[in-house]
Amino acid sequence: MTNLIDPLHMKNMLWLIPCLPLAGAVINGLLGKRLPVRLVHFVGCASVFLAFLISVAGFFTLLGIEEPHQRFLIQPLYQWILTVWHQGSFSLQVAFRLDPLSITLCLVVTGVGFLIHLYSVGYMAGDESQARYFAYLNLFTFSMLLLVLADNLLLMFVGWEGVGLCSYLLIGFWFTDLEKAQAGMKAFIVNRVGDFGFFVGLMLLFWTLFEGSNGTITGLGFQQLRESIPLLNSASPILGVGLATWIGLLFFVGATGKSAQIPLYIWLPDAMAGPTPVSAFIHAATMVTAGVYMIVRLNFLYVIAPAAMAVVAVVGGVTAFYAATIALTQNDIKRVLAYSTISQLGYMFLAVGVAAFSTGIFHLVTHAFFKALLFLGAGSVIHAVHSNDMLEMGGLKKYMPHTYLTFMAAYLAISGIPPFSGFVSKDEILWATFNSHLPVAGLGKALWALGLLTAGLTAFYMTRLVALTFMGGFRGGLEKEKHLHESPSVMTFPLMALAVLSVVGGVIGLPAVTHLPNLLHDFLGPVLSSHGASGHQAHAYWLELLLMLISIGVATTGIYLGWLFYVKRPELPGKVAARFAKMYQVLEQKYYVDEIYQALFVRPLLKLVALSGRFDLNTIDGAVNLSSRVTAKFSFLIGWEDLKIVDGAVNGLAEIFKRWGAALRHLQTGKIQHYLYSVVLGIFGLCVFMFLF
Amino acid sequence: MQPILDGLTLSPWEPGLFSLAIYGLMVLGLVSLLLFFASWLGEKKSNPEKLRPYESGIIPTGSARLRYPVPFFLVAIFFLIFDVEAAYIFSWAISYDSLGWAGWLQISFFIFVLLLGLLYIWKKGGLEWGPTSKQD
Amino acid sequence: MIPENFIQSNLQGISFIGPELILTLAILLILLVGVLLPYWRHRILFTILAVAGLAGSVLPLWKLPQPAPDLTYLSNLFVWDWLTFLSKPFFAVVGVLTILLTQVTGEIDNSEYSECTILVLAVTMGMMLLVASTDLLMIYLAFETMGILSYLLVGIRARDERSGEAALKYVLYGAFTSGTMLFGFSLLFGLAGSTDLLAISQKVAFASQHPQDRLLLIVAILFFLAGLLFKTASFPFHFWCPDVYEGAPTPITAFLSVGPKAAGFVLFIRLFYPLFATGHDATIYEAVSGLDWPSILALVSAITMTLGNLAAIHQNNLKRLLAYSSIAHAGYLLMGIVSLSDLGLRSVVFYLVVYLFMNVGAFAVVAMVASAGGSEEIDSYRGLGARAPYVCVAMAIFLFSLIGLPPFAGFVGKVYLFAAVIYKKIYWLAVVAALNTVISLYYYLRIVKAMFLEKPTETIQIQVPLSSRVLLLALLVPTLGLGIYWQPLARVVSGMF
Repeated sequence: MTNLIDPLHMKNMLWLIPCLPLAGAVINGLLGKRLPVRLVHFVGCASVFLAFLISVAGFFTLLGIEEPHQRFLIQPLYQWILTVWHQGSFSLQVAFRLDPLSITLCLVVTGVGFLIHLYSVGYMAGDESQARYFAYLNLFTFSMLLLVLADNLLLMFVGWEGVGLCSYLLIGFWFTDLEKAQAGMKAFIVNRVGDFGFFVGLMLLFWTLFEGSNGTITGLGFQQLRESIPLLNSASPILGVGLATWIGLLFFVGATGKSAQIPLYIWLPDAMAGPTPVSAFIHAATMVTAGVYMIVRLNFLYVIAPAAMAVVAVVGGVTAFYAATIALTQNDIKRVLAYSTISQLGYMFLAVGVAAFSTGIFHLVTHAFFKALLFLGAGSVIHAVHSNDMLEMGGLKKYMPHTYLTFMAAYLAISGIPPFSGFVSKDEILWATFNSHLPVAGLGKALWALGLLTAGLTAFYMTRLVALTFMGGFRGGLEKEKHLHESPSVMTFPLMALAVLSVVGGVIGLPAVTHLPNLLHDFLGPVLSSHGASGHQAHAYWLELLLMLISIGVATTGIYLGWLFYVKRPELPGKVAARFAKMYQVLEQKYYVDEIYQALFVRPLLKLVALSGRFDLNTIDGAVNLSSRVTAKFSFLIGWEDLKIVDGAVNGLAEIFKRWGAALRHLQTGKIQHYLYSVVLGIFGLCVFMFLF
Repeated sequence: MQPILDGLTLSPWEPGLFSLAIYGLMVLGLVSLLLFFASWLGEKKSNPEKLRPYESGIIPTGSARLRYPVPFFLVAIFFLIFDVEAAYIFSWAISYDSLGWAGWLQISFFIFVLLLGLLYIWKKGGLEWGPTSKQD
Repeated sequence: MIPENFIQSNLQGISFIGPELILTLAILLILLVGVLLPYWRHRILFTILAVAGLAGSVLPLWKLPQPAPDLTYLSNLFVWDWLTFLSKPFFAVVGVLTILLTQVTGEIDNSEYSECTILVLAVTMGMMLLVASTDLLMIYLAFETMGILSYLLVGIRARDERSGEAALKYVLYGAFTSGTMLFGFSLLFGLAGSTDLLAISQKVAFASQHPQDRLLLIVAILFFLAGLLFKTASFPFHFWCPDVYEGAPTPITAFLSVGPKAAGFVLFIRLFYPLFATGHDATIYEAVSGLDWPSILALVSAITMTLGNLAAIHQNNLKRLLAYSSIAHAGYLLMGIVSLSDLGLRSVVFYLVVYLFMNVGAFAVVAMVASAGGSEEIDSYRGLGARAPYVCVAMAIFLFSLIGLPPFAGFVGKVYLFAAVIYKKIYWLAVVAALNTVISLYYYLRIVKAMFLEKPTETIQIQVPLSSRVLLLALLVPTLGLGIYWQPLARVVSGMF
């Protein structure tokens, strides 16, 4: 292939990809209120679209490079941190790295991102703070692109945090609603827990490499990490577990936070409080995939830590199944999709856990297409019905034909019906899992079975969703029925574009059984350490074909059951629910996990927050009754009254500081003669100190 | 500046320290003893006559704390400043030969600055002695 | 008779004090204009002249030879090293910012404006001389040039009682401490027989072997400390600071909190490093044996920051609060001096540069709010965020930077300071400093909270003119920029030591 664009030019343009959305965010954020709404829309969309165009150019530039292993461009922007000491130096650059992996993500983020920006123009019409909305959305795009394009771990961490911040801002976008503001807070806090894991992992990785290389390590760039990662093997294990495993697990904690895996998934369903396009963009297509991306990016670390990989695979598989079961009973359309997202992310982790990294990315891409489509379709429905509750919907097929048709494409894709994109990628994951070599014998097969079961559940709950929303008659009342309408074309156009992608997206990663090249796999090859399942397996085509048929069978069964339950015999679900009342209850209440977390973590935390709030309030009160507090302290020292220790310690500390502060204020008499005495005393004191010590 | 003395030729000072301390203590003791006795033994009866300042037998008229006019201090300070500057001019004059024209230029500049200062004082009303000085 | 070559070398050395000479000319020009046009009401002329003078003062730096640690001039009175070279533009920037701030806030009356600019220029000149001096006498002269003129600056509002009171306190305190320092100088001169720092340092290394001379050295060090700790507003010589900062016009307060303070720290480096520390493989120093001044300074640093932060908690007047904050920052900066390494010295200089922008920024906001109809009390900041968002966001950024939160410049500066002490393994000091940072969070955030979360108690509309906004922007850019891209500054600083 001839080179359309000089790689050198492309290299110098890399910074534009993240910085264009940033510029959009700055313009909309600072001037947005004064700009006409149309211009705000234009700035918001155009900045992302330009970034998309540059990404496309970057993609072709990479393709134009003949030698696959040379397919990377690094643009160093400036020296960020440089520390020199006698043994060596440590330097970090703000540099962007374009390689097959990052360009794939870039295309998804900017491409899907642009469509969602466009959709938002219609969806947010009439909202009074659209400038703020588009500024946040652009800022998010910037952070995500920074995360993806970063050439070193620390810069990636900056993007990682930025993504979390934007998610918080957007979930709580309608912050006047207390519940929504709290959902934003929840997402932020849960993400913090994960980020802590990431950060500790980063520290541990750096420290180990620093020690292992006798202080000659000079940075955290990915290329450098990749070369020096074998050093981890020589480091002495902690608690009998190798350091590579520790580090891998810590990074995975970060990934479970950002990508909503067990046990840190709880924020994602609540994140649906944000505007629907945000759910589509952030909580389905891009931000939540950051964890998968990070693990694939660090694949060289994970391949030397098989135990960590196994944990990733198991957590992924279990999350996929677990979230799918919850999705069965939810009535909020966005919640079903949220749990489905968690479930699909579980698939991706399952894939990377069994070392099928390119397959994980493949599913990430197809999932971005069809899940964005599902959310946008749901948004279109919500826009028309003004409710999230599926029980108030039904029969929308005839009112919203475009939405219905595009939604069906995504539905078939996620349910795993060939030849839709979701089928291709999901089946490849199952095949890779079946063939995997996990440290525990039979684990691969078990995870495969779990994945297969999840596929059936997915087909079932998606059928339920489609049936409740689009089939049958409208249940929302006559008044609402009059206002039902198809969404404007600015909203349906993105739906159609995504629908096309959902249908044909599978061609980039065709299974080996078709004897056609797996484009994505070959493209990503140079970035990955070990070739995924389909790469090095001696192909047993009959087996692959058989498994494929089984999974089609399972999916069809799921769909049939769904059809039977919710279209053919609508009385059945009630009966089944009555029969298994306990189980239904547990599922509907999402295994009570929120309640458990509430009791275990949130409430004590809130108590602490309230205490530190009091830190501020009781300035005067506290000063007066210190004596009574002393008595109280004695009493709880003896009686260990509930939590008063924390109470007392926080208050006591605040008290002490305040008292000292007050006492110090008395020292400042304002009389110059006192100050001059203080000089004499000061010199004398210093003398005494100096002679004594 | 170049060193004036070479080496550490200071005499040791600790031998004097002890006697200094004894002396200091004795002085302190004596003074405090005297003050103590004066306040203990002395009669303490005060009346207006006693509290009046002693002016060699003449009954004082008015307060002893006269207020000098502020310009007095101003002029005193101006004199001080300009007087001190003369020292520089003397030192230039002494080595006039070896300093040459460069030195002449420098001292001219110096005098110019002084003149500027004088001008400033003048314009600001610093030399005006009396109630009619400028208010702004 | 004076040798010919002595005169020649002195005349040549004059080119090295080019910045000071240009400042002098600017001062004379402003003086002349101010006298000849007494009814001139346009402050802008003086501002332009002063800024031009300050800008012009850095021009000669490009013409002068490459700095070197042993390049002395004017009979060894001054040294031309990187610290000198880079401090001069620093002080010029301090001066420019002060004058612009005075211009935009209008806190100084027209009748006093020309004098104010003259004094700012003169203090700047004093600071420039001070950082270059390597001779005790010259140091004292420059120190007093800076000191006495800044007393005048504090009292520039002649008809304002608070300003006068502050000036008087400053004079008395300053005279007392600088007299003490002069006594220290005389002791050292008596010991070494020279006022040249290089000559003294050789004598000191020798003298510290003898117990009797060591005693003298200790007293000398303590007396030095009185002057230096006074200038940098550190415990136990900080008492003047809140009163003076509160009484002085706000732009002058901003000036004092960065200019003389920075000069004090540079003087710390100038005095203590050649005199009482010996270089050790060029990156680490050791205190001269028997003189344990680092440990005493470490204690002073810990007490200073704790005291500053604790006392700031109760302040409701923002200028007073920032005065205590500036005391606390003196404590942080002392950490760098204590650490006895190049890393420490670099971090001090780095932090001073960062501190210049964020602290002047915070004072600038205080001055602007006060001159736009508010007051310096925290009450007039309640709910200000909604009425003057630009100024309040700027204030929040400056305060966050003062706390030391990423991604602002203050964070990077603090990281370097902490790294310096930890590198030297003075862990307890690092812990105290970290705790102090937490305490400081409380009172800085109180302002942020008042601005954005509380309901306004007064309804005065705050109108901030465009010129003020531009000045704030000029301060914001480095506060933010150095937090993200600090490498150029770090490189410049690491070239200094």
